[in-house]
Amino acid sequence: MRRRGRGIACMWYPIGFTVSANPSAATVKVNEDGTATLLTGTVETGQGSLTVLGQIAAEALGIATEDVHVVSADTDATPMDTGAIASRTTYVTGNAVKLAGERARAILFEAAAPMLGVKPEQLEARDRKIQVRGFPQRSVAIGEAARHALVGKGEPPIGTASFNPPTVAMDPETGQGKPFATYVYATQIAEVEVDDETGEVEVLRIVAAHDCGTPINPMLVEGQVEGGIAMGIGFALQEEILFDDDGRQINPNLTNYIMPTSLDMPEIEVDIVPSHDPTGPFGAKGVGEPTSVPTAAAIANAIYDAVGVRLTALPMTAERVLAAIKAKRAAQPQQLR
Amino acid sequence: MSDRRTVTEDPALRESLSGLEASARLPATLPPAQFPIETLVPEVRQQTPAVGQRATRPDARLHGLGQTKYIDDLALPGMLHARIKRAGIAAARIVRIDTRAAEAMPGVMAVVTGRDVPVNSFGPSLQDQPVLADERVYHAGDGVAAVAAATDAIAAEALERIVVEYAPLPAVLDPFEAMREDAPRVHPPASNVYAHKIIRKGDVERALAEADRVFEGRWTTQMVEHVPIEPHAAIAAWDANGRLTVYSTLGRITLGRADIARTLALPVNRVQVIGTIVGGNFGGKNEISQEPVLALLAKKAGRPVKGVFTRGEEFYASTTRHPFFMDYKTGVGRDGRIRARKVRLVLDGGAYCSWSETTLGKACILATGPYRIEHVQVEAFAVYTNKTVAGAMRGFGAPQVCFAYESQMDEIAAALGIDPLEIRLANAFDEGAASPTGQTLESVVVKASLEQAAARFGWREPRS
Repeated sequence: MRRRGRGIACMWYPIGFTVSANPSAATVKVNEDGTATLLTGTVETGQGSLTVLGQIAAEALGIATEDVHVVSADTDATPMDTGAIASRTTYVTGNAVKLAGERARAILFEAAAPMLGVKPEQLEARDRKIQVRGFPQRSVAIGEAARHALVGKGEPPIGTASFNPPTVAMDPETGQGKPFATYVYATQIAEVEVDDETGEVEVLRIVAAHDCGTPINPMLVEGQVEGGIAMGIGFALQEEILFDDDGRQINPNLTNYIMPTSLDMPEIEVDIVPSHDPTGPFGAKGVGEPTSVPTAAAIANAIYDAVGVRLTALPMTAERVLAAIKAKRAAQPQQLR
Repeated sequence: MSDRRTVTEDPALRESLSGLEASARLPATLPPAQFPIETLVPEVRQQTPAVGQRATRPDARLHGLGQTKYIDDLALPGMLHARIKRAGIAAARIVRIDTRAAEAMPGVMAVVTGRDVPVNSFGPSLQDQPVLADERVYHAGDGVAAVAAATDAIAAEALERIVVEYAPLPAVLDPFEAMREDAPRVHPPASNVYAHKIIRKGDVERALAEADRVFEGRWTTQMVEHVPIEPHAAIAAWDANGRLTVYSTLGRITLGRADIARTLALPVNRVQVIGTIVGGNFGGKNEISQEPVLALLAKKAGRPVKGVFTRGEEFYASTTRHPFFMDYKTGVGRDGRIRARKVRLVLDGGAYCSWSETTLGKACILATGPYRIEHVQVEAFAVYTNKTVAGAMRGFGAPQVCFAYESQMDEIAAALGIDPLEIRLANAFDEGAASPTGQTLESVVVKASLEQAAARFGWREPRS
């Protein structure tokens, strides 16, 4: 009989890593046509980080996302970056990009101020214009200001900045310290069906509420959550590298190492929890890794809710679930029917 | 081993290659496309602000049309294909490696072993990993020799002709066995416990003794692979000035360049690393792997060399997720409030340290969960075994400890007759809470996430 259950799991996760310094640098160049080029040493690994960094640069300069061209990942041409790891790109590289954009913007303000007859401090960058705060009709196009800075003043609007999260080293005896600049939080709830005759677990639905600070691009946040849940389901139910007695892997192929496919995916509902971290770029934190953290626990709790057995070893394969169900039945006193 | 040869200098080779060149795998060619491709719908708001937009990725169209160039799509003129011979034995001393038969094969342009590597060690925190195993094999996926040949098929066949003689050593495969004093050492004379961390706050023993209820349990997790669609891939090419360019799937090129330069004993500025668009990383491409080997082969052959891991190598020659053994002891009041939590973690690190220290650190810091607990103690050990290397993987230990702390949370809730949602809300961090390391937490929204997920799920609605 297929029995339905639900399970909840929440988690916290730090942004960045602890062992050593964790810096990123970035360079933002504003072109004469009002577009910008962002140089970053990070690598696009499919998650959309370059899009997010472009959006941060655009926001800092008051231009549109498609106005920013991102050049990445060439050690000869792009600035230092600790890399696409540890859910750090939006927070750490993003902060560097924001600061670099602001520095380029400051050069534009210096160039635009005499054009508008005001002080640089009175200016803001919005809607592809440099305008007087409170008097948006008094403005010059960003491209015009960039051309004036470049050709008129001979000061190209290029900003470079770096960011390293402030941390306090952990005490080796007690572990006390501030190992990370900030943390994100999340909850996932899984609904499963367990076949108590075969032990097979089907995940029907996962509701995920994730905090990432300000979502720079909500669509990409949702993509990360859905991908993370797919990975979490594999970790929970199917995937395992097995070894023979001599320490050699016995299933190093996709025939015998079972991964979830699109057919194994449940209905996923993603909620972004409203949050704002003042230390992040425009309030953003990060989202990459945490998305696969609570999935296995939520499924384990849902299995318990469905059939009353607690699996303490991953993956919770049909064999293990069935063995646990049989052990529970064997331990129960026999009832007269 | 062979001297540098070129096709034109060696008539026999030239003849044997004439057929092979034609059968060599051609780089993938794309159907012709018209540029720019018409966009029918404006996809991005023209106005600022940019932040918060559901902006289309500029690479989405390239991915959708198959126009993205991954390393397997790239070819440099004269490029060779590399393969690495894997040990296939978990622990052994290498007695001898005979590469003569492989070198004599037509189409084989270079063969290298560990002796050719100028500085044969790397690793993000401990440099305990050889580029190619030289004197000793530490796990079955260790590379022992590498071949560059005109085609991938020739390179694969040449591996079969490399003879390696091993003197087997006792392998230690279980982390608890490895922690015993009398266990064989994976990296003698170093201890098998290569990283240890402790977090202590309050008086956990007293608080456990005074708690109304104490819950104990052990949870374990398995070794898994990242399984990116694109395997580890790289191309190494030298220029006439002795400058090396490496195209790679590496996720962290700045530090990867430093590692490549170190293993090759080159100044950092002589190495250029270009990170290509990567077909999935998930932590598995955080450190160098075959890049120095390809560089050495390219130098020896005088040609660019490409290497692409097989799916098998993705499993046994790349890093994996640490298996965890987690003992939790938690003291709780009758009201469901957690008073004390004591955690002991053992991480099976496999043959090399890799990113174990970060994994250990994150697992320790996160192990007690997002909960206000006055008395905590977390102690963790990372242990060498003669198995596939465990390293960075999405979550760095967090999915493992979350499985334990959240499973135990439900056990506590069930034993005390409290709803799983309510017990979490009763214990979760508030804004300004102190973490187990004494950090004051800000922008804390764990309760909001619980409430939001519960509302969306319909957790508090009557169950059918």
